Amino acid sequence: MTTFHRFRALVGILAVVASGFVARGEEPPVLPARPEEIEFRALDFKVPEAKQFRRTLADGTVVYVAPSHEFPLVKISITFKGGASLDPADVPGLVATTARMVREGGTATAKPTAFDEQLDFLATEMGVGSNDAFTTAGLNCLSSNLDESLGLFVDMLRKPGFDEARLETSKARLMEALKQRNDDASSILSREWKRLLWGADHFESREPTAASVAAMTTDRLREVHARIFHPGNMIVSVTGDFEEKEILAKLEKAFAGWKKGSAVPDPVAPTAQLAPGLYHVPKDIPQGKVVMGMRSIERDDPDAIPLLLLNDILGGSGFTSRIMQQVRSNEGLAYSAASAVAPKVDYPGQFQARFESKNATVALATKIILDLVEGVRDDLVSYEELETAKLAAIETFPRQFESKPAMLRVFVNDEWTKRDPQFWQTYRDKVSAVTREDLQRVAKKHLDPAKMAILVVGDWDEIEKGDLGKRATMADFFDGKVTHLPLRDPLTLEVLPEAAKPAEKTPAEKAPTGKPAPAGK
Amino acid sequence: MTSPRQARFGCLLVLLTGWFVAPPPVTAQQVAVEEFTLPNGMQFLLVPRTDQPNVVSAGWVAKVGSVNERPGITGISHFFEHMMFKGTDTIGTRDAKRDAEFRDEQRKVREDLNRLVWTEQYDRYFRGEIDDPWDPANDTQALRVLRGRLDSLIKAQQGRGDDGAATATIVKDEFDQVYTKAGGSGMNAFTSFDLTCYFITVPSNKLELWAWMESDRLHDSVFREFYSERDVVHEERRLRTDSTPTGRFQEQFDSMFWASCGYSWPVIGWPSDLNSYTEEQAQEYWNTYYRPGNLVGVVVGDFDAPAAKAFITRYFSRLTAGEKAPPPVVTLEVDQLAEQRMNAEGDFPPSVEIRYHTVPAGHADSYPLDMLAELLNERTGRLYKGLVEERAIASGAQATSDTRKYAGLFAFEAETRGEATPEALEAAWYEELAKLQSEEVPERELRKVKNRVAAGNYRRLESNMSLLVQLAVAEATLDWKEINDGPRKYEAVTAADIRRVANEYFSPTNRSVATFRRKAGE
Repeated sequence: MTTFHRFRALVGILAVVASGFVARGEEPPVLPARPEEIEFRALDFKVPEAKQFRRTLADGTVVYVAPSHEFPLVKISITFKGGASLDPADVPGLVATTARMVREGGTATAKPTAFDEQLDFLATEMGVGSNDAFTTAGLNCLSSNLDESLGLFVDMLRKPGFDEARLETSKARLMEALKQRNDDASSILSREWKRLLWGADHFESREPTAASVAAMTTDRLREVHARIFHPGNMIVSVTGDFEEKEILAKLEKAFAGWKKGSAVPDPVAPTAQLAPGLYHVPKDIPQGKVVMGMRSIERDDPDAIPLLLLNDILGGSGFTSRIMQQVRSNEGLAYSAASAVAPKVDYPGQFQARFESKNATVALATKIILDLVEGVRDDLVSYEELETAKLAAIETFPRQFESKPAMLRVFVNDEWTKRDPQFWQTYRDKVSAVTREDLQRVAKKHLDPAKMAILVVGDWDEIEKGDLGKRATMADFFDGKVTHLPLRDPLTLEVLPEAAKPAEKTPAEKAPTGKPAPAGK
Repeated sequence: MTSPRQARFGCLLVLLTGWFVAPPPVTAQQVAVEEFTLPNGMQFLLVPRTDQPNVVSAGWVAKVGSVNERPGITGISHFFEHMMFKGTDTIGTRDAKRDAEFRDEQRKVREDLNRLVWTEQYDRYFRGEIDDPWDPANDTQALRVLRGRLDSLIKAQQGRGDDGAATATIVKDEFDQVYTKAGGSGMNAFTSFDLTCYFITVPSNKLELWAWMESDRLHDSVFREFYSERDVVHEERRLRTDSTPTGRFQEQFDSMFWASCGYSWPVIGWPSDLNSYTEEQAQEYWNTYYRPGNLVGVVVGDFDAPAAKAFITRYFSRLTAGEKAPPPVVTLEVDQLAEQRMNAEGDFPPSVEIRYHTVPAGHADSYPLDMLAELLNERTGRLYKGLVEERAIASGAQATSDTRKYAGLFAFEAETRGEATPEALEAAWYEELAKLQSEEVPERELRKVKNRVAAGNYRRLESNMSLLVQLAVAEATLDWKEINDGPRKYEAVTAADIRRVANEYFSPTNRSVATFRRKAGE
C-alpha cells in the first residue's frame, strides 16, 4: 500500500507513452508494472433505502416493489415469520413438512397432479420452504401469464389441499432421508455440533425421527398452516416485468378476504450452555472432519462489525486469511479450512472454525488453528491486514444490493428483524472507523480456545496419534480428555447399543491398533 | 467438475397462449455478444448489460480438461487450476530470482525422490513388502533424507525454515489479496472433462485490474509450490472421493463405463499420477494448452464495451501465440458389445444407476435425448409419476443426458423406498423405457416439457456469472452461438424423434448397470 502514491505520477507518463505507441501502431504498449499502478475511476454507489420501495396494501400488508424489464418474468416472494422455531417439541420437522406440503399437496379445489400439470404447462415455478425462523413462498412466472399464475399461487397458500396420498409419499421420502443420516460424515458432524452448541432440546438441534414423521398428520399440518400463512404474518416482495400500480392492484385483489391471524412469537433462546472440551464421533473414513467453536454475539451487538472484520483476517476470507494460508497453503493439511462468525438476531450466535484433514494431521491442523486464535488475542493484527479487510468489506458492500431480488431480500429481512433503518447508510463509515485495538479487544472478549468445544468425526485410533513428525497429537487439547459421543440410530436418534463406549479415556490407556494405513497418501 | 450439459440452453421466448398444441408464437431473443479475436489468437466474448449496476463478472476458459490427459499425467489439468493461483514473477514473490532458484533446487530433489519411489518403492510394493509406495511411513533412509531436504527448501521459500522469515521469497497468496482489496468476490475456477474455467466478480471500475491480473498470470505463470500443493489436492481427493459414501464407487463405475476414450479416468486424477507429474511435463502442457489460441475470455455485466475492448487488447496482446496447435483428441470410444454390471455395498441407500452410451454435444440426436430426459424428470415427469407415486418403490428418480465434447451418456438413477430393491427399480425403468420405445409421447406432454425448457433457458440468463459460465462452456465444448441457436433445435424436436432415439440408444448390450446396497450391519 505504501508504494501506491509514489507510483501515481509515473502512471500518467506511462499512459501517454502507451497511447502514442498504439496510435502509431508500432511497439507493444508499456503496461503498468504492478496492479497498484492502475488508476480507477471512482464508483458512485448510493445506498438504496427501504422506504423508496416500500408500499402497503389496504389491509396493511407490506409489499416491497422493484420493477425490472430485462426479462419477461415476474418474481413474487412472501416471507412469513416462524420456521422450525414453531415446531412442537414432540414433532420436530413439522413446520418444514407443512411448508413442503403446501406446495406438494394440491389445493382445496385441484388435486395435486392436476395442479402441478397446470404449473408445468405454464412454465411457472413455485416453492415453499422454511428455515429456523422464517417460512418463504416463491413464485416465478412469465409475465404473460402472471394473472393465472398469481391466482394459482395465492389459492395454494390460502387453501392448500394437503392431499393424503401426497403426504404419505412425502413422509416415505423423508424416512428414506433419515436412514441416510450416518452415511456421510459431514451430516454427522453438523448434527452433533448443533447438539453440543445449542443443547439437544433447542429447536435448532432437534431433527425429525421415525416417531415424529409418523405424527405428521394432515390435522397437525393444518394447525401449523393456520398459524403461519396469513396476512398478519407476512411481508411481500415483487420484482420483474410489470408496472407498479398494476401489480399492487393484482395483489390487493388476490389477497382480498384473507383473514389475519394472531402474531407469531420470536424464536426462543437456548437454555443449555456449551461445555468446552474435546469430542469425537466414530466414522471409518480416511480423513477426520473437525469443527471447533463457541457461542458468540447477537447481530446488533456493537462488537459485530469489528468481530466480523477480525474473522475475515483469521479465517473468513479465503486465501487472504491466516487459517487458509497456514493450514492449506503453507502446510498442505486441508483442502478447505475456514472460520466464520454467525451472529443471530434473537440470541447470541456462534463462532466456528472447520476443516478436514487426513487422520495423521487432524491434531496438527487443530493446533495451528487454535494458535492462530490465540495469536489475534495476544497481538495486534498488521495494518495491512486490517486495511485489506476493510477495503474488501467496503468494496463488496454494493454487491448485496446488486440484483433487485437480493436488495428486496435485505429490506424484508431488516423489517422482520427490526434493524435500524440507518444501518446500511452508515455501514461503510462504521467499517472505516475500526482500529487494530478494536480487533484485539473483541478477540479477547469473544474468542477463547479454553471456552471452545472441538468436535472430531473420524477414525479416532488413527487420529489421536498425530503426525509422523510428532508436531501435535490429540493429547495436546484439554489434557487429552476426550468424550466419545456415540453414533445415534438414524431413525430414533437414540444411542446405538454397539456404539456405547466408555465415556472418557486418556490416550495412555489405549493400546496401539497396528491397522494398515489407507492407500492414497 | 460440472457437466457441460445445461450450457446448451439459450434464450427463447415462448408465449404460452393457448391450452393446446398449435406451435406457440416463438420469439427468439438473442443474447447480444460482441465477439473479437486478438492477433495472437485469443478470443473474447463481451456481453454488456446494465440491469445489475456496478458489477462485472469476468473469466476465461482454457479448452483443456482431463480428456486431453493420458495415463501417467491424469489430473494434471485440475492441478494446473491450482497452480494458476500461485502467482507470477511479479505477483506472489518478493524476489523472483531467488524464488526461481528455490524452485529449481526443489525440482532436483523431487526428481531424485520420485526416481527412488518409482524404482525401489514400487518394486517393494510389487513384491508385497509395503502397502503403499508413496506413504512416507514406508520411506527408506535415502528417501527420508530427500523428503527432509525438500521440506526444508519449501519451508525456507515460505519463510518458515530454520532461518525464519528472512529467507522467504513467497508473498503468500498475493494473487488473492490483490483482488480481495479491490472488492473482487467469488474468485474461483473449475475443471471438467473438457475444459478449465476461471472467473471472478469485480466492481465495474475494476475491470482493468482483471485484465492486468489475468494477462499477467497467462503471460508469466510460474509453477510455484509445485510440490507442496499436491498435498492439498490429495486432501481434496480424500474430501470429494475417498470420504464420501459413493465417491470411489462412482469413480469405478466411470472407469468401467468408458472403455477407450479419455473420460475413463477421474478429473482429479489417480493418486499415483498426482505424485508423479514433473515440471517438464507441466511446462509442456502449459506450452500446448495455455496458449492464447486455446483460450476464450468472457465478460458479462455493467461495463463500457469499447473501453473494455481497448484495454483487453492492450493487456492480453502480451501473450505470445503457441508454436503449434494442441493435438487433436483421436481416441474414439469403442462400441460396447455386452451389458456390464457392478454390484456395490457400502454406507448408502439401496439404489441403481443405469447408463447408456449416446452421442457428443452438437450431434443431431443430442436434442431429442435431452428432451427425453426432461420428459422423465420433475414432479410431473414420468419417473416421479411411475416410480415414486404409482409403483411407490422409489424415494427419488432422475434421468440425465450428459453430452460431452467427444462422447455422451444417458443415465437413469433411482433410490429405493421402503422394502423395494434395486432390481425392482431396474425393472420399472425398463417398463418406462418400453413405453417410450413403442408409443409416441402425447403432444400435450411434449408441449409442456418444451414450455418448461424454454422458460428455464431464460431464467438461466439472469445472473451475470451464470451467463458467463454458459458462454464459456458452450464455446469450449461446441460454439457459444449454441446459446442462441439451441432453443430453436429443442423446439423442433418431435415425438417421433424421441421415439426413434429411445429405440436407437437404449439396447441391453449398450447399457451398464450399477446396483448399490447398504452393507449389512450398517
